[in-house]
Amino acid sequence: MTTLNDTPTISEESVEVWNGRIAIRVKVAGAGSPLLYLHPAAGLAWDPFLSHLAERYTVYAPEFPGTSVGDPHAIHQIDTLGDVVLAYEELVRKLGLVKPVVVGQSFGGMVAAELASTFPDLPTALVLLDPIGLWLDQHPIANWVATPADKLPELLFHHPTGPAAQAALALPEDPEQQRAAIAGLVWAFGCTGKFAWPIPDRGLRNRLHRVAARTLILWGRNDKLADVAYAGEFANAITGSKLAIFDDCGHIPQVEKYDLTVQAVDGFLG
Amino acid sequence: MKISLFAQAPYRYLPEDFEQNHESVCDVPYSLTTRQGVYSSIRDFMDELMFGARSGFDAVAVTEHGQSSYDMVPNPDLVASALAYMTEAEGLDVAIYPMGRSLGKSREPLRVAEEYAMIDVMSGGRLVPGLVVGLSYDSSINNGVPPIEVRKRFDENLELVLRAWREDTPFAWNGKFSQYPMVNMWPRPLQQDLPTWITGIGNPNTMQMCLERGFGFNYLSWFGAKLTGKRIFDRFWEIADQVGVPRNPYRLGFLQTVAVSETDERAEQEYGEHLEYAFRKGLGSIPMEKLALPGNIDIRGVQALLKDPADFGLYSQMKTVTYRDLVEAGVVVAGSPSTVRDHLLEFCRDYGIGNLHAMLGFGSLPRHLVMKNIQLFSEEVLPHLRDLWTDTEHEHHWWPERLGGSPSTPQLPANTGMVAAR
Repeated sequence: MTTLNDTPTISEESVEVWNGRIAIRVKVAGAGSPLLYLHPAAGLAWDPFLSHLAERYTVYAPEFPGTSVGDPHAIHQIDTLGDVVLAYEELVRKLGLVKPVVVGQSFGGMVAAELASTFPDLPTALVLLDPIGLWLDQHPIANWVATPADKLPELLFHHPTGPAAQAALALPEDPEQQRAAIAGLVWAFGCTGKFAWPIPDRGLRNRLHRVAARTLILWGRNDKLADVAYAGEFANAITGSKLAIFDDCGHIPQVEKYDLTVQAVDGFLG
Repeated sequence: MKISLFAQAPYRYLPEDFEQNHESVCDVPYSLTTRQGVYSSIRDFMDELMFGARSGFDAVAVTEHGQSSYDMVPNPDLVASALAYMTEAEGLDVAIYPMGRSLGKSREPLRVAEEYAMIDVMSGGRLVPGLVVGLSYDSSINNGVPPIEVRKRFDENLELVLRAWREDTPFAWNGKFSQYPMVNMWPRPLQQDLPTWITGIGNPNTMQMCLERGFGFNYLSWFGAKLTGKRIFDRFWEIADQVGVPRNPYRLGFLQTVAVSETDERAEQEYGEHLEYAFRKGLGSIPMEKLALPGNIDIRGVQALLKDPADFGLYSQMKTVTYRDLVEAGVVVAGSPSTVRDHLLEFCRDYGIGNLHAMLGFGSLPRHLVMKNIQLFSEEVLPHLRDLWTDTEHEHHWWPERLGGSPSTPQLPANTGMVAAR
């Protein structure tokens, strides 16, 4: 049995989409029915949450165009969020995923919600972890792209100095690798920011009513990036959705409240 | 050599502890100002530019900064148009040089082309148009352009502006960032070929584009010319050699802050505190992340900067910088007329600079001292610099014909299907 510290064998596929103009790199692990995981703005990091999902599902985790090492300029091939959604639908078809579970975190949560709104029959179930994509004037989404690096931990985590947050934030010790990691993170913010800057609202509110999949929404009550007020907004807009809010938790519940998150997700997916 | 008076419009009356509590851009509280303080900062700035225009400078130059306390010039063309009419009415043969209208920021690029055409007509053909990608915070925070799109927007807008100036007949523009069914500006520029300049901070791609396509290249050294100058200018001329264009000094412009008084000691007494104000409360109070928002610099550039940040010179120390630091790093050239002219002559000669933009007002420097600085520079320094490149074979192709230049048409990019109208 896989435990928290075990990472499954992860393979990698490259899938050409968008008339051959973009090769999306996908990390694949586990066995079972398909699960598509869409990562947050900082890029894909394989974490214990994904390892847990891979115990019961075949997890497909695509890297957003531009965020794959060695292929940074793929981002210039795609210009609108609507086109991103079409490219991801094409990816799902080319991977041969039939009715996958779709899970998305933060920026990836927005993409997941867009995908499920545009193609209501695509997911069998939808899990959104503190997604962005809506806007309330009284609760402006924090501008994470413009936040200086030393202030990011406190924006993302309720306990930025706790072991879970520290493990998620750790950088390589080798100076060369560290520079590469920082440059990669900066560029990932730039690539995803193309579809979220200056205000991460591209009209998702107008489309959310189209979501037909069973939906679970998870939120950290102390989320400083996207206030917990947005949890209710998503829940109200998606008919029949379930909502769980975790106390003592920031923007990334699967890191700060790992046990509660997997419990809620496992319970929901059955 | 062509010598411009460059000026910014800083708010001159910020509190002493400003830099401990505030940044100088984007969210700087307007409640720190008074109506009188704003009026006087702008009025004095305009008067100082006009004094320069009457004092024998070859150009008066300004640039663009939105939502900033260190340069309250959201659109330099407003200032330039006032200068264009004033100088034309007074019969002053001085170039009008808005150095950096930002095209990475602009959502209305045709407006930029129109404004410049208008200024050229108002000035009787004395416009030297400067175009710039734009500062990261200004394009993205002040104007909402995604950082990763800023450079692409600049590239596209530049082609539109050049085409709008030069095409004789209306055309349709189907861009990624703007679409116009019919581009047919009235008026077109008076000059047949506008001597166009691009301003950069050292990106080799920008330098290469300027050299290949025949734009002038301006380097604005806020980071300390003694620290960065050799790197930047050597890079520029090496790229020129690779591109295969002559090392013509007139294609290169350099901005330098200068403070002239009767003696070196007096320069420090008179200008020291105002220079410290300028750099601590201005550049020093722009945080790094606002100069390079994620996506604004290509990933390879980010890697290069992380490995070797020396292009940024003294920037990291600006918030607490002293007069002596500024002089030692060459952020400022200060002293008696002979100290200043010796330094500037040597620097411009060493690096092949044919256009010097002297910034003679800065920070909290009061009007009477700005005027003194302008007068001393124009009488005791400028005449000694003017002939630096006179005895060379080089011609100035980046200056208006009416003012002695011989501008040529900028080349279209190599990979475009567009055809020049003439």
